[in-house]
Amino acid sequence: MEENTFEPDLVHAIFKLVWSNRALERQMIEGTDALDCEVGAGTSKKNRPSSANGNAVKLSCELLRNFVTEAVQRAATIAEAEGVSKIEATHLERVLPQLLLDF
Amino acid sequence: MEREEEDSVSELLRDRFRVSTISIAEAEAKRNDMEISGPVMTCIADLAFKFTEQLAKDLELFAQHAGRKTANMEDVILSAHRNEHLAALLRSFSNDLKAREPQSERKRKKSSKKEDQATTSVVHIPDS
Repeated sequence: MEENTFEPDLVHAIFKLVWSNRALERQMIEGTDALDCEVGAGTSKKNRPSSANGNAVKLSCELLRNFVTEAVQRAATIAEAEGVSKIEATHLERVLPQLLLDF
Repeated sequence: MEREEEDSVSELLRDRFRVSTISIAEAEAKRNDMEISGPVMTCIADLAFKFTEQLAKDLELFAQHAGRKTANMEDVILSAHRNEHLAALLRSFSNDLKAREPQSERKRKKSSKKEDQATTSVVHIPDS
């Protein structure tokens, strides 16, 4: 829609970081059992971090962009109602609960 | 040592993410003829970062539940299913993406477009 959005590479990098951390955690939990049980190809497959296809990452960027623009727009509405032209923390505070429920 | 390296990587990502968020937030404020204070933008950036991490966990769970290792667009739409407007918006954006890159899709799936649409519509029915 606009040229101003998140870079898919950046979002993908964050996803990968979360997934590899979670895969490590799973490995640590299973690592204690795996010593006794079979250490086959099945377990290593199970512990491999997830991945995402390109369009899914782009779509996530759009979702995040919407999150940010909604936050600003809703806060701007409150600021406008108060008759000021600068969005301050209190305006964000007012819209935050509903914003978090909506996303 | 490794932990430190990991932390610095995540810090770097967080900073890059913050910069992107701030530029988006500033542009959006300008469109509304508003100024926006720095702390508000930082706060939105941190919220959006947390949201991204949560989204990553959701996508992983949804993909796993579907028996996949790779998250696809349906998973992203599913993550927004509580908000009908948002889900509709994402669905139309996903259709745009599909329409814009038909060649890469064909390469990946090695199937004709008709079959492709048929499978997506089959996926589409149960979650709407």
